Amino acid sequence: MSAAERGAPEQMAVAIARALRDGETVFHGVASPLPMVATLLAKRAHAPNLVYLSIAGGVDAEPERLPRSTVDPALLHGARAMVTLADLFDLSARGRLDVAFLSGVQIDGTGRINMSAIGPFARPKVRLPGGAGSALLMPTARRTMLWRTRHDRRVFVETLDFVTAAGNVDRVVTPLCVFRREAGRLAVDSIHPGVTPEQIVAATGFPVEVGPETPLTEPPTADELALLRAIDPERVVASEFAGG
Amino acid sequence: MSDRRTTLRAAIAAIPDGATVALGGNTLHRVPCAAVHEIVRQGKRGLQLVKTAGAYDVDLLCAAGCAEAVAAGFIGFETPFGMAPAYRRAVESGAVEAREHVCASVIAGLRAAIQGVPFMPLAGMTGSDLPAARGFRFVADPYGGPAVVAIPAITPDVAIVHVQETDAAGNARIVGSRFEDVLMAQAARRVIVTTERIVPRIDADLVAIPGFLIDAVVEAPGGAAPCSCAGEYDYDADALGDWIAAAKTADGARQWIDARLLAPAATR
Repeated sequence: MSAAERGAPEQMAVAIARALRDGETVFHGVASPLPMVATLLAKRAHAPNLVYLSIAGGVDAEPERLPRSTVDPALLHGARAMVTLADLFDLSARGRLDVAFLSGVQIDGTGRINMSAIGPFARPKVRLPGGAGSALLMPTARRTMLWRTRHDRRVFVETLDFVTAAGNVDRVVTPLCVFRREAGRLAVDSIHPGVTPEQIVAATGFPVEVGPETPLTEPPTADELALLRAIDPERVVASEFAGG
Repeated sequence: MSDRRTTLRAAIAAIPDGATVALGGNTLHRVPCAAVHEIVRQGKRGLQLVKTAGAYDVDLLCAAGCAEAVAAGFIGFETPFGMAPAYRRAVESGAVEAREHVCASVIAGLRAAIQGVPFMPLAGMTGSDLPAARGFRFVADPYGGPAVVAIPAITPDVAIVHVQETDAAGNARIVGSRFEDVLMAQAARRVIVTTERIVPRIDADLVAIPGFLIDAVVEAPGGAAPCSCAGEYDYDADALGDWIAAAKTADGARQWIDARLLAPAATR
């Protein structure tokens, strides 16, 4: 059974949504279906005054249908105001953005990310897409939430090939667990239902302490699942997973 | 009022090889694709592309041998399609230089050009390898505050943007997300606007880019396709998927370009 079939997308979405607080300003950029769904869920579930900002520029958009590209004009529907990407970077630069969502092709044990290159930067073995806004947002947003739909030793590495961005990482949400940064290192905060501590150790390239005493991530509640179905009937939340 | 209307062929012909070309839009949305297709047809070489987040436009110009360098924050087709295959191949082979930016540093470079200063201070970038890899220097605050990274001005020779509506003078209305199009138009030496429609007059309140900043206006209905144009059409997932499948190999990309853009039946 694939991770998408096991319900990992919904588990990740609720884990992200619960970490968002009422009244926070929250931003996601390109290629961010899970943060899009999670932010809309948080706003409906427990954070009605959260300010939802996206790279499309809509403020508090209420999309009728969820797009797979998260720059799509669908993310302007129902918006109360329009801002530009420059406005959003400026907001973060002056310390007024609470949460930025980012991801990494590689993520190290301190929560730094590589989105630039595998191999030498000037002549890479694999040229990656680039970090988009991350090198500005990660150091300036109050907290950064990282998410990645693959959790293995190619993603969670001891040493990055290149540090695209470093900064205020708060949590990292994966299909296996939630990491939280403590004293500059990623530590397992909770482990998703059905996942074993051994699985996490085996899939993580840096040392992690995880065992029977590690708390379990609360599975999605019936209310959360009902909201997810209402917000995202086409299950765009699974689009970042193989077969999703 | 100056009439700035011209043909796509004439507008693109004025771009010299080696020019620094800023492309409007973002990933799959309101990208000046008709103009990009014409650049490929005219066989431009050595272009220095400027973009915040690019996809089909940059990928195609890399595959066609038009681009020499890409200054951008992100090049990829997003979740529906993944990485940009031709861009990847071109950078990995050394044919194209990836001048990676944070999207905000593209904006900072454009703002420096707009404001007529040589560089623009930017918050953040601490702990990143990008400043060292790209030669972005941290400078001391002359008034005693913390050091900030100084992004050199980016002055495009040409900015190309696609909009929903202009008048004949080029006063341009953008419906929905403006992305970096206005900044690109302000920073560039020359501006080409392609437009879904040319209308007699646009309410001044609705004009995003004033016509006096614009050099060439080209009526190009469907000019963002296969990317989206807000209020007009969605992106064409089949066409983009078709390009990505073809572009997985250099031969496939070349054949696709020959058949779709260069064959006599495909022109204009």
